[in-house]
Amino acid sequence: MHIVIINGSPRVQKYSNTDTIIQSFGKGLQESGSTYELYSLSNRKEWDAACDAFLANEQIIFALPLYVECVPSIMLEFLETLPIKRQQSAQISFILHGGFDEGHQLRLCERFLQSLPAQFGCTYGGCLIQGGSFLIRMRDDEKMKKAMDQKLDGYTKMGQSFASHGNFMTTEARKFTGPEKNPWFVHLLFRLFIKRLVRKNFEHFAQQWGCTRPLDDKPYLRLEIKR
Amino acid sequence: MTIVLNTLEEGAVSEQIGTLVKDDMEVVNTSGMKIAHCMGCNQCWLKTPGVCAIKDDYEGIIKRLVGAENLWLVSDTRFGFVDWRGKRVMDRIVPMLNMYIEFRDGLERHELRYHPLNFGLLYKGEADQEFLEEWSQRVASNLGGQSLGVIKMKEGEPCI
Repeated sequence: MHIVIINGSPRVQKYSNTDTIIQSFGKGLQESGSTYELYSLSNRKEWDAACDAFLANEQIIFALPLYVECVPSIMLEFLETLPIKRQQSAQISFILHGGFDEGHQLRLCERFLQSLPAQFGCTYGGCLIQGGSFLIRMRDDEKMKKAMDQKLDGYTKMGQSFASHGNFMTTEARKFTGPEKNPWFVHLLFRLFIKRLVRKNFEHFAQQWGCTRPLDDKPYLRLEIKR
Repeated sequence: MTIVLNTLEEGAVSEQIGTLVKDDMEVVNTSGMKIAHCMGCNQCWLKTPGVCAIKDDYEGIIKRLVGAENLWLVSDTRFGFVDWRGKRVMDRIVPMLNMYIEFRDGLERHELRYHPLNFGLLYKGEADQEFLEEWSQRVASNLGGQSLGVIKMKEGEPCI
């Protein structure tokens, strides 16, 4: 099976978590004898080729991060450039991920994605959903590395699964999401311990990025006061 | 103070918005503005907190939002949802929040950098009303505010 994968993230490929996910997923596809070609919407020069590939192939996967409760605006713009009529039918599937780990956060966007393929004369091949991807970019950090390698191995397994089933309408794809919402004791633990740890981690990252202001800085409020 | 972000291409917003907004209102027509897509670089959270790395006309919008309580988006629709022009001005709202995480409305949320912002949507064309209402609720919840409603624009109204 040959699959066209379109990375719907606006972030440049080099730093794209979606790209990292696609690479792990693609490894699984190839291990199972499938092939894929990849286009990244962050690079405008690839849009025409992505459109041609979208029209000429029968297996298409859009991989995207959640942006403000739905699809990133750059991907919506690309979708508007696609013809809504096509010669042969195709199946469109999705890989949707986001920073927060709760599945519930991604469900509204999933509903939107479900409605999309029919608008292009295509069928829906399901949506692979998982949160908790913020740290993928930080996986050079020794503490994070193990957890993130495990996460990416999961995507490789899902690549193998897609190669054999041809879609994400499987039990394993559904289970891949993990918990819909954190239970009450996680809320409690978060307030008591985890919150401080997470804050420290973020501050550590910021320091590495050369940040010199507090993370809860209010720059434009300062301007108002000065005035 | 209410900020109305009008993303309609013709740059004219229906009089209807006047009936929806009860307090001081400033309409910002974004169609002629230079506004890029959010590129998810995370700099507004981790490198220059609260300041977007993209230097374009959106910075003026963020400054206005810091002095506002309500935000209305006026947008055309596509695929049953707001079109990319409407979504683009919402994707750039990230500097209004900060990196820190808390639980709000029972869900993980980013902390508000400034104050709660209520959110409403006035849309043009055929769209999924129920879907837009839930989206609007979720956007408002992210901004710590309430949904002000999702209203379909009346066709053929005089514009201001």
